[in-house]
Amino acid sequence: MVSETTDNPEVVEADVAPTEAQAPPELDVSIVIPVQSDAAEVKDVVEALGGELDREGRSWECFLVFDGVGGKALEAVGELRERYGPRVKSITFKNAFGESVCLSAAMERARGRYLLTTPQYIQVDPVEVGPMLKALDDGADFVTPWRKDRVDPWLNRLQSTAFNWLLRQIIRMSFHDLNCYFRAIRREVLEDVTIYGDMYRFLPVIALRQGFRVEEVPVRHLKEWGPAGFFGFGVYARRALDVLAVMFLTKFTLKPLRFFGTVGGLFALVGCCVSGYLAVQKLWFSQGIAGRPLLLLGVLLIVLGIQIIGFGLVGEIIIFSQARNLKEYRVERIYE
Amino acid sequence: MQSQIDVSVVVPVYNEEESLGILHREIATSLGATDKSWEVIYIDDCSRDRSLDVLLELRREDPHIRVVKFRKNFGQTAAMAAGFDVARGEAVVTMDGDLQNDPADIPSMLEQLDGGFDIVAGWRKNRQDNYIRKLPSRIANRLIAFVTGVTIHDTGCTLKVFRGKLVKNLPIYAEQHRFLPVMSAGSGAKIAEVVVNHRARRFGESKYGLGRATRVLLDLLSVKLISQFSQKPLHYFGLLCLSFMVFGSFFALVGLASVDSHQGLIDGAVDSAVRLNNWELIVVAIFMLLVTLTVFYALLGLLAELAVKASGMHRRGVLSRILSEQQ
Repeated sequence: MVSETTDNPEVVEADVAPTEAQAPPELDVSIVIPVQSDAAEVKDVVEALGGELDREGRSWECFLVFDGVGGKALEAVGELRERYGPRVKSITFKNAFGESVCLSAAMERARGRYLLTTPQYIQVDPVEVGPMLKALDDGADFVTPWRKDRVDPWLNRLQSTAFNWLLRQIIRMSFHDLNCYFRAIRREVLEDVTIYGDMYRFLPVIALRQGFRVEEVPVRHLKEWGPAGFFGFGVYARRALDVLAVMFLTKFTLKPLRFFGTVGGLFALVGCCVSGYLAVQKLWFSQGIAGRPLLLLGVLLIVLGIQIIGFGLVGEIIIFSQARNLKEYRVERIYE
Repeated sequence: MQSQIDVSVVVPVYNEEESLGILHREIATSLGATDKSWEVIYIDDCSRDRSLDVLLELRREDPHIRVVKFRKNFGQTAAMAAGFDVARGEAVVTMDGDLQNDPADIPSMLEQLDGGFDIVAGWRKNRQDNYIRKLPSRIANRLIAFVTGVTIHDTGCTLKVFRGKLVKNLPIYAEQHRFLPVMSAGSGAKIAEVVVNHRARRFGESKYGLGRATRVLLDLLSVKLISQFSQKPLHYFGLLCLSFMVFGSFFALVGLASVDSHQGLIDGAVDSAVRLNNWELIVVAIFMLLVTLTVFYALLGLLAELAVKASGMHRRGVLSRILSEQQ
């Protein structure tokens, strides 16, 4: 497994050093908060979650990962430090690297048995932490909440429902709510799963695919305190790409030719049908076909199909040349 | 921990609770009769029945058994890959867990392997399946032999014996296990076939469907590419380029020639004159498209070459060297 952050060039400043690889976890929970905007309600989040965990009697630490932001949010660290002492830690990136890198950076330093990731505002009633951690205690590896009664604007809700429905169709897994970043994760999961890019969002899907037990816990949804509102068009476009990415991740990673071959084959088939139709017209009915745009369409479709298949071939070569690094299976236990 | 054992038997198991007891007794009798040291590795592909319990029970009585439990169902190829990874034997035997393969065949196959081969593949000459299963696989085998030039009568037979060094150095992924002999033949592995016994199913349902056969075609293309051109993909793509070019030139020649021969018609009807002029245009357009395709494939070939170089795979000389070293 290649980790994106092995040598960690992006961390500018961190008040904790990476833990030894094999160091046993000493705490119950490590909270990870990727901070991505100035307006983050960091203080509220830490106070709410920390308070709840204290009530539960679990030891915790908290990582604030500043993803290229500073300002007011960064100032809050001082205040939190005064109140909670060294339990509150901060990692600062000079530039924005996205949630995935934030999580990896925190993971390298975390000492908790469980990781609790949360967005920079309170999205889910902190009381729900209890049941979620309970699920981990009961043997789940990954707990993702399902905000059953949403209070967002209806457009957001519609979008979210559509997105999740589409995902369910594609990956044949039942997730109701993938867009909630409030997650409780067993440490082993993150040690085993490589995350990069936008994969943060699909962490439950990836974990499930690796054979971990992923559970959904219904939670109450709090009115978002952060900069809520409608998601713009850009978000929709990104979501569509995300769906494609998941499709690729879950289905075709090791067999690119099956995907490209099928798509390209379909194009070529349609092209052949069109050309065949024209050939029949030309040969049997002696109609002129040269001036018909259909001829160009047919030939173009065939060419396009062949090109797409070509991509599949290259993909196949890439997979094969990397095959040594791919491990398709995950062993739970070996009985010698 | 390498190679303290002569033979490792790798058995992927998925919902085989009834068969396992009998299977293991058969393997033990068969291998116990030889003077080789042996182990059996059962890979439980997250069975939904009691297979794992049965295996653990067997293991208590027989120290030859090792059991690998998967975290979820990853499929037969992944199970074999796992088996290969943990196997310690100098020879590695793969077989199904459903009793259709006969463990009694293993000793003769091992003998064959010692005779200087790298892979001994089983050939179910008298296959105990119905025609719906036999026919597609026969066609597939013919197709594989035709395309790759490696004749193996029965690629689908799981009972195979590999040299340990070979499987440790062969990347296995994505339902590729049936192509292992074909793929390693490209690196100079010597392959023998042995006719093996095949028995009708005694328990449970077959786990393969017909839908699998339809994917063989695409897989075949990639096997061809990988087994013969993985070191130099540019050649493969170059070959395709050439065929496009030939086709394009042929097309252009025919098209232009037909325009010439119809030249006389232009004096005739006006509309046919228009048609012919268009025809000429179309010929050029299609020719250009084929040229585009050629250029495109040449570039893809370079890209593939880059991927191979970047992975450092070409430097290993892979399997061929490892295989020749031990001879």
